[in-house]
Amino acid sequence: MPSGSKSGGAPGPTSPPHVTSPSRPLRPSRYVPVSAATAFLVGCTTLFFCFTCPWLSEQFSVAVPIYNGVMFLFVLANFCMATFMDPGIFPRAEEDEDKEDDFRAPLYKTVEIRGIQVRMKWCSTCRFYRPPRCSHCSVCDNCVEDFDHHCPWVNNCIGRRNYRYFFLFLLSLTAHIMGVFGFGLLFILYHTQQLDRVHSAVTMAVMCVAGLFFIPVAGLTGFHIVLVARGRTTNEQVTGKFRGGVNPFTNGCWRNVSHVLCSSQAPRYLGRKRKAQAVVVQPPFLRPQLSDAQLAAKVLDNGIQGDLHRSKSSLEMMESQSADAEPPPPPKPELRYPGLSRGPGSHSEESSLLNKAPPTPTMFKYRPTYSSPGKNHTALTHAYANQMSRGDSLKESSSSSLLQSSQQPGYRSEPSLDGREGGGGGERGVSDRPSGAPGGPPGPGIPGYSLGGRSYPSFSDPTVLSGVASRSSSVRSAHNAPPSEATTSTSYKSLANQTPPPPRNGSLSYDSLLTPSESPDFEPAGQEMSPGRTRTPVQGYSSPFLSAQIAQQREAELHQPSAPSASLLSSPHRAAYLRGSASSPPPGPERERLLQDPAQPTPPPHHHHHHHHHHHHHHHSSRPPRFSRPPLLSDSGPPPPAYPYRTRSTDTPLPPSTHPPRSPHPPPLGKSLSYSSAAAAEMQYRLVRKASASAGGGGIQAPKDEVQMKSYSRTNGQPRSPLSQSPSSSTPSSPSHPISLSTRPGQAYPSAASSQSPAHKPGGGVKKVTGVGGTTYEISV
Amino acid sequence: MATEFHNLQELRHSASLANKVFIQRDYSEGTVCKFHTKFPSELDSRIERTLFEDTVKTLNNFYAEAEKIGGQSYLEGCLACATAYLIFLCIETRYEKVLKKISRYIQEQNEKIYAPRGLLITDPVERGMRVIEISVYEDRGSSGSTSGSSSTTSSSGQ
Repeated sequence: MPSGSKSGGAPGPTSPPHVTSPSRPLRPSRYVPVSAATAFLVGCTTLFFCFTCPWLSEQFSVAVPIYNGVMFLFVLANFCMATFMDPGIFPRAEEDEDKEDDFRAPLYKTVEIRGIQVRMKWCSTCRFYRPPRCSHCSVCDNCVEDFDHHCPWVNNCIGRRNYRYFFLFLLSLTAHIMGVFGFGLLFILYHTQQLDRVHSAVTMAVMCVAGLFFIPVAGLTGFHIVLVARGRTTNEQVTGKFRGGVNPFTNGCWRNVSHVLCSSQAPRYLGRKRKAQAVVVQPPFLRPQLSDAQLAAKVLDNGIQGDLHRSKSSLEMMESQSADAEPPPPPKPELRYPGLSRGPGSHSEESSLLNKAPPTPTMFKYRPTYSSPGKNHTALTHAYANQMSRGDSLKESSSSSLLQSSQQPGYRSEPSLDGREGGGGGERGVSDRPSGAPGGPPGPGIPGYSLGGRSYPSFSDPTVLSGVASRSSSVRSAHNAPPSEATTSTSYKSLANQTPPPPRNGSLSYDSLLTPSESPDFEPAGQEMSPGRTRTPVQGYSSPFLSAQIAQQREAELHQPSAPSASLLSSPHRAAYLRGSASSPPPGPERERLLQDPAQPTPPPHHHHHHHHHHHHHHHSSRPPRFSRPPLLSDSGPPPPAYPYRTRSTDTPLPPSTHPPRSPHPPPLGKSLSYSSAAAAEMQYRLVRKASASAGGGGIQAPKDEVQMKSYSRTNGQPRSPLSQSPSSSTPSSPSHPISLSTRPGQAYPSAASSQSPAHKPGGGVKKVTGVGGTTYEISV
Repeated sequence: MATEFHNLQELRHSASLANKVFIQRDYSEGTVCKFHTKFPSELDSRIERTLFEDTVKTLNNFYAEAEKIGGQSYLEGCLACATAYLIFLCIETRYEKVLKKISRYIQEQNEKIYAPRGLLITDPVERGMRVIEISVYEDRGSSGSTSGSSSTTSSSGQ
């Protein structure tokens, strides 16, 4: 049959052009239905025109064949469009887009559409999270936008672009069948005496075929009319996605219909002409000049808008002082717990933020206003902490920011954070704290703790470090300023005028990492933190605080038993970390020494680190914590269900074998990014471990601290628990790491909450501890 | 000597792709094409927030205009039906027209704003309109004759 061969011999219509789809083997069976459909359609209509229409046109009017002709043409046009048109195939994602996703990504990502949580599944073939309503067609091996179904009769997927034609094809085919059947019946009724004629026989045959096809086609048409009216796709209807629920994609019947029929033809994604990029990117590059307010906003901007106003106003105050470096006044007690006062509001904002798919990984980079000679000082720690606390998905960009910071002289992320913590520890009146060490090892066993107690270690800049050293007292008092954000910005501002320190300061941060690992060093660090400091993390911060606390607890407990396993895992990663950070001019042997500190069972970098860390958390959640705080934090959420990392590692295809090969790679762009995040994670882990070690050394619990912890756990726990439920209900494997770099929306918090529950920092004295989220807080020892 | 000369050339034109930032789609209003305007932190040091947000907002407006169901799109549909869709061979649909506008806009933004800052925006349509890809270039400076030689690698060419 010519028509059959026409459609049968065209394997190409549905195969997407060029790069995205691999060549598929020719499967003739795929073309049988479409060939049959074409054959029947064209054949029967031709016979109808040849045998029935002449008499009808003579008998009744010429409009009959004209109408039928037009109808047939319409059917054919829609049939061809439905068959040959690209349904809306997504091109495969390029490698750069999913660098981190493939290995550490949760299987599902939740996004909120008009208040309804919709899950986006990771497509391993196409390498992206499928947009809502997108589905991967196994027949075509493509992800199709607004996937309806794969229609065998047209041998094509029906998706966004060709649904209209498919729908119109069904409508017109139904009408056509009805017309053919009706006019054939008319013919027969007028020829009851001449049924033996060829014309009658053919007409009756055509009527039979038409009648036979009418029932399924009409049924399908009716089904799709209902779907269009309800704004659903076949896929959604058949899988029962909105059964008993609300369809977030509907706009009302009229708008749904008009969207199907009247919207402009959606564009093709494949096979587009890509015009060559004519724009030339040449250095030198412009860099934005950041105002102080912007800096403060950046520092504080973890999505909680309320903080900005407060911080900005305090910043204005401080800006005037920039020249004199006058120490800011000590914090007012009532402002000490901003997170508490704003708890509920912040929670909602945070949860809504978490529920939204974050646009990009938000590692906030803090750029100092002063221009250090030729260096880009990026304070990573604070941002990193914020990010982890907020559960934003940490993708390449965060790794890149880490990478960038690590590439700068004096690696400035987590290590400097730790250094700050140590420095800050001295502020709190610990006698052995050096007050004026100009950037050198400030005191006995606390090298690099030049900065004052800073609850927000956002200034990993060595300049800041050195600056603080000389003005540590002012910095410390700055840290004691009420809101943590304001404090950090304030202290930063006061430091901003310091001359850039020698690159050695970068190594100082490593030293500080090194030393705090020993518990005695932590005593002063802890003591320097005021109780208020623990509260400084506001909504977004409190979770890292708690999680850090828990982490410390866990680390302390976990330290001994898991040390061997950790060290096993850590060694390749440590090397990797070294390599990753080695791109920056290494500050010196201190870094190496620090990293190779055998006392520290260094956790594996990036996701392993988080896995490990998280495992620690969950592992310890079941144990009674060493210090008597379990009941407080246990309220925040049941630890066992939220083993997000664990579930993810079991559910998601996270081949452990891929991990080691990944880590030791010399960092090309993508890999180095993951390295930096791993490095940062590792540093954070260390900090937490040190904090926990020191906390363990304390053993005294201050009731004041307990109360504070309690209130924090409440404020933090409450929003967490719904959050922890929602992702778990929607996606078994998606709950995220609280502290891990791969932050997914809404996931960091549940796990943070769970991890926070058991651990509490005890202590009568005050220890300054760096939490996993990078937040520093004081722990009463 | 040749190496030196080569190095000098490297000095002058060495911007290499350091990173890619992806601006994801904002699905809060359904499947209409809209991108998050939230400023990614990786670009913190590279471009002013307002410029970036303006770009994304303008793109969102363009896409909203393209997907608008109004007189023109209805007329287009009717005409297409009437001509058995042969009209698509002759005229450009509304969406395609807007996509061309978007492409011109992105080109202009790249030339004026992003390329001087070492950034390049990729037209989202090349990524299936799922992400806006911003390539971040780093100044390799006098990194010499080795790897940092691709100065004007266009992200679209990758």
